[in-house]
Amino acid sequence: MISLSSFVQKASSLIDSANFNLPSLSSNDDNPSKASLFRQQFRLPDSQNPLQEITAELILPLPSNTSSDSADGSRRVDRPGNRYTGRLHLSERFICFSTQPTSFLPSSTLSASTSWTGQTHGTGPSGNGFTLPLSSIRRVERLHSAREVFSLALTTWNGMLNKTQEPNFAPQRLILQLVGSRQACERFCDCLKKGLREGMKEVDNLRSIVSDCYSEYLLSGTKAKDATDGQGRQPPDAGLGMLFRYPGDARKLRDRSKMRLWGEYFRENGRNATLVRQPTFHKLIRVGLPNRLRGEIWELTSGSMFLRIRSPKLYAETLAKFDGQESLAIDEIEKDLNRSLPEYPGFQSEEGIGRLRRVLTAYSWTNAEVGYCQAMNIVVAALLIYMSEAQAFFLLSVLCDRLLPGYYSTTMYGTLLDQKVFESLVEKTMPVLWEHLTKSDVQLSVVSLPWFLSLYINSMPLVFAFRVLDVFFLEGPKVLFQVGLAILRINGEELLDIQDDGSFISILKSYFSRLDESAHPRSENPKLRAITRFQELMVVAFKEFSGITHSTVTEQREKHKNAVLNNIESFAKRTSIRNLGPESKRLSVDDLGTIYDRFYEILYHWEQQQKLADEERQRNEKKKSQRQSILGPPVDRQVGRVGLGPSPTHMNYDAFRDFMAATSKWAASDSPAPLKNDPSTSGSWRGNAKASLWANRRQAADHEFMQRLYRKWATDPDEGLSLQDVVTGLARLKGAPDIMNNINYFFGLYDDSGNGQVDREGILKMSEALLFLSRRGFEGTITATPSQDEINNPRGNNDEAEQSRLTTDERFLGSVSAFIRRCFEYADPSHPDHQRAGFSKKTEEVTEKLDAFAIGDDDEEEEEEEEDLIDISDDKESKTAPVEKTSPQPTESISPNRPRSESANPALDPNNPLHITLPTFRMVVLADELLEQFFESYFPQSFHLSDHPHPASVAASSSLSSNLTTFSKIGRPSASVTAGVSVAGASGGIVPPGKGLRGVLDNIVTDGIRMAAEVKKRMDDAQRDLERNALGHRDEDDDEDDEDDYPSRQGASAAVMAGGISSWGAGAYGPDPERRSVRDADRDLLEGAEADVISIRPTKDEGSSEDSHGARPPTVQDTEVVSKVVEFES
Amino acid sequence: MSDTAGGNAPKPSSSVKLVLLGEAAVGKSSLVLRFVNNDFQENKEPTIGAAFLTQKCTLPTRTIKFEIWDTAGQERFASLAPMYYRNAQAALVVYDVTKPSSLTKAKHWVAELQRQASPGIVIALVGNKLDLTNDGGESAGGSRSPPLEHGSGEDEDGEEEEANDVGGGELPDSGDARKVSTREASSYAEEEGLLFFETSAKLGTNVVDVFTAIANAIPESSLKTGRGTAGAGQTSLGNRSAEDARVNLGERNAATAKEGCAC
Repeated sequence: MISLSSFVQKASSLIDSANFNLPSLSSNDDNPSKASLFRQQFRLPDSQNPLQEITAELILPLPSNTSSDSADGSRRVDRPGNRYTGRLHLSERFICFSTQPTSFLPSSTLSASTSWTGQTHGTGPSGNGFTLPLSSIRRVERLHSAREVFSLALTTWNGMLNKTQEPNFAPQRLILQLVGSRQACERFCDCLKKGLREGMKEVDNLRSIVSDCYSEYLLSGTKAKDATDGQGRQPPDAGLGMLFRYPGDARKLRDRSKMRLWGEYFRENGRNATLVRQPTFHKLIRVGLPNRLRGEIWELTSGSMFLRIRSPKLYAETLAKFDGQESLAIDEIEKDLNRSLPEYPGFQSEEGIGRLRRVLTAYSWTNAEVGYCQAMNIVVAALLIYMSEAQAFFLLSVLCDRLLPGYYSTTMYGTLLDQKVFESLVEKTMPVLWEHLTKSDVQLSVVSLPWFLSLYINSMPLVFAFRVLDVFFLEGPKVLFQVGLAILRINGEELLDIQDDGSFISILKSYFSRLDESAHPRSENPKLRAITRFQELMVVAFKEFSGITHSTVTEQREKHKNAVLNNIESFAKRTSIRNLGPESKRLSVDDLGTIYDRFYEILYHWEQQQKLADEERQRNEKKKSQRQSILGPPVDRQVGRVGLGPSPTHMNYDAFRDFMAATSKWAASDSPAPLKNDPSTSGSWRGNAKASLWANRRQAADHEFMQRLYRKWATDPDEGLSLQDVVTGLARLKGAPDIMNNINYFFGLYDDSGNGQVDREGILKMSEALLFLSRRGFEGTITATPSQDEINNPRGNNDEAEQSRLTTDERFLGSVSAFIRRCFEYADPSHPDHQRAGFSKKTEEVTEKLDAFAIGDDDEEEEEEEEDLIDISDDKESKTAPVEKTSPQPTESISPNRPRSESANPALDPNNPLHITLPTFRMVVLADELLEQFFESYFPQSFHLSDHPHPASVAASSSLSSNLTTFSKIGRPSASVTAGVSVAGASGGIVPPGKGLRGVLDNIVTDGIRMAAEVKKRMDDAQRDLERNALGHRDEDDDEDDEDDYPSRQGASAAVMAGGISSWGAGAYGPDPERRSVRDADRDLLEGAEADVISIRPTKDEGSSEDSHGARPPTVQDTEVVSKVVEFES
Repeated sequence: MSDTAGGNAPKPSSSVKLVLLGEAAVGKSSLVLRFVNNDFQENKEPTIGAAFLTQKCTLPTRTIKFEIWDTAGQERFASLAPMYYRNAQAALVVYDVTKPSSLTKAKHWVAELQRQASPGIVIALVGNKLDLTNDGGESAGGSRSPPLEHGSGEDEDGEEEEANDVGGGELPDSGDARKVSTREASSYAEEEGLLFFETSAKLGTNVVDVFTAIANAIPESSLKTGRGTAGAGQTSLGNRSAEDARVNLGERNAATAKEGCAC
């Protein structure tokens, strides 16, 4: 007996069980996991996993009074009893047996009355065999047989959980012969033993469910049981039909004799939880279930009974738990209650409507992702005619989760997918009809969609729809396809004549209305004449289309899944992009598409992670997991696509970091492998490249800046970021590529109190953020700009590109350092003594921090920079340095030369000296060329979206960069309006970001008029001062305006560089006179720039020669400031 | 062209595919029911997928047979809509005058149609439930029911004031459930080049007018002739000509459609 094949089997069982023990990690594959196939096969709850599997033979003792089964028994009567070979499976709570499809000969002895049952007989997913909860097994014995056979005898609780014993009762006993090595058999038995011990705990649950089964009631009565038995116990709830009559004529449906047959079957093969499926079972279902047993058999064949056994009180508990609460789903349910099967009297009554309301509501609470979908009301209403509320509740969840996956989801992808599958099956099986439909431009699914969505319930007369449902619950979704195909096949000829949707629909409507008529009214043969159209339909469905199996459907679903999901997703995408509101219009459609894809990509990635983590946790606490997923979305539900339905809509901070890492280089973490040189990754990172997406994704960095960005973008940081939040956030940054906007934005990130001030801590954080943002280089955005630096800098544009990039990076460090110092300078201390100490201490700290960021060799760098310095600055430095000893802050508040900053900073609080305001911040940024470029181009451009940005943003950005690169250019007579406006806006400082160009202009005018005189005076001063200082090339200004400004600007910025870098080297603040002087020069340059800017518009009539002096005031200021400082100190 | 050829027939007949879109429970099905059966039901079965109905509309020069696809309004059915508006020559985008959110949804539909439906589709914007407002309600003879499902839970963001000054200078009346002003909707419709009506399916106000206006707005050249009436006799040849006509329509009206596109 134990031959090679059994070795193979043994091996495969070993391999299988090993696989089965693995968690469903593969669940995100397109193929369903083995575990889910197993559950599908035996209709088990999602908590079940295949643990053991072995080939076995089921031996059912022949019933003492063999009457009905004799026909089937004739197949294999070489040994007493019916024997079935198949696989025996063991899960945590179930023992299941099913004949392999090949091991069971399709019954060829079809009597006339059952001829239409067709060949699918026995090959439904359930097959022949059993699915027994371990709790229903009372005893297992090992049989000692003579041969080397491993036999088990199972005795079940069948019929013994009832208080009243039936007469002639014999316990149900099944014999199983395991085929396999002794070891495999032992292992199986061990596992079974363990399961049985666990199962004992559920016997009470089982008892409570079973005692409510109509089958128990049916069998508990004596043979003489009447339909009108009033004595004894009340019949269990078998649906609204008991109160309002069942649809159809019971006599015509031969309900009584069906009931008798079922009674017989139950007695021989067990009932409810302990039922064994034999061929008769399938036949009895095909002829239509008797009314009062219909609900129970549906529950059994669909497997929803097992869910109910697991948690018998869930329905009542759910209703109690959410009692009185409201939801969108409830509103929607309420709208439809009065219009669900209104033709059935039960749903014209409060009783029926109440039941419907409770079942739909309870389900919407347990599965909030599905909630409520129209058509569920019709399906549930139909179920409630035959089942209790609790039964309908569990059956609905099996429908939504397993039998009709995705049908009622928020995207209804399952419905659309099955329509595609149906169309392709029609094309395959009825090519002529298909061609005609295509040619006539009739879309099949407009007709067939309601069939599937409401399970034919509102297409066919109820009695027939229920017959379809009988088979559907046993054999699964393929039945819907078979029936649909049969409908088309039967009406094929007429359908070939149709020209439009209208005639298509009317043909089928009239067909459905005549289902009870004879299919062959003119036939001579009375037997043939007796066959109704519905019977004909069933024969065609299950005989002609017997080739449509569960695997056909699964296969086709797989094939079309992507196309359908893509359709839905592109619909969802274009809808949601279109609905993003006016802000989003600042980004191009491609950009929005990229954001959308990336957003959901990351959300789903996180969802997957979450799921895996949950599974991990479940595995760790296995005991608990048993209770999980009794209802609700299946554990191995596929996630990861918008089209699949209820999507998470908000990303948390961690997901946001991932999003940013995919968007911006700087947001990627440095730790594992800094992908420094692939800006292409982010650029090419589109929705289509999904597979590669996580393969080469970057680790997300975490930085305070990102937290700030997150909080800024989020409408509600606790809830997370919605797509709208992200789009709005990005649109504000990228959509208006205006340097002022970017500076304002950045400042806003640090304006924690919202009062337009950033304190000392904030300044330091800003500078850290600047370094954080720049630590990956500038991707060419800064050096690419034809800045004055580079024109003058021989290294800037030469072939050693890498060298120059490094230089830019390092120079940027200098800029940041200068930034800090300037910020502190311009913040006004009213208690300078205190301030002084705190300030230098702070600066030391920062300097240390900055040191950590330094890339190159500071000293060397400094020297190099110095070489680039232009002599003026050097001169200035040496001149001013000795005098400069204290903090220059006081000058700002006192100096009459700074009415600008004062007028612009009315909120500047002298008691909080280390606050800088937005205008100050702007000044500081604009003072430095690199910072300016940083905010102008790098910062917005570092957010990589699509390759096709909004045309406006490109145009504006380029125009700005040409006009705004340096201040010197503003001085040109040809300065464009744009440049003037933006810069003036900056100096105005009162313009709220949202106010736009109009506001900017208004401010310029008011400010300008007020300032014109002052500026003029300063200009004159500057002129005079300049002459006094007698710096050689300043004299050229009269004849060469444009050129004049370049060197001065250049010199200043270079000086800033040098100052910044040397300050790191020195560490301490005080003793470096040179640096101090540079700083002052810078500040004064700022002021000069400011004055310059203001002069543009209001002083137009003063002529360009005035403007050209813009860079001059520094010198004037310088001396003045110095004198003030000295006074102050003394 | 075949219209003129069949001059001996009393009136040329042509069919027009029309699709109804709009938020749930704005009264799409009721509008159709009023138009097709001149009937009104308080409890109309919800539309699963879409319902199909036909009704003839007689114009002075021709008869139009509307093939009406009445779609489900529940949000999740939206992804099925492309199936129904495919090849539609006309669309009725319905909102509820007592529910501002339904106009927003209607605008989304209009944008969707302008982008995705066949070019040249005739779109009518219809504000239903006029019977719940003062201007429509008075004629109901005081028998109108309170706005059960519409009145509660709405965002009261100043829409009300706007509504009041539009209702033909009427005094602010507590009984007026109107939340979307005629002006707001009509100016939007004008911008987008839509037909615009306010209707009451319950009272029958303006319902037939909507369909008649649509029938008139459909360019004659785009009509498929006699598809519904000719029945089985039609050959695939005739069908092809219908398709050609549709293509013509697209070319002719492409410009107008684009112009109205919002984004």
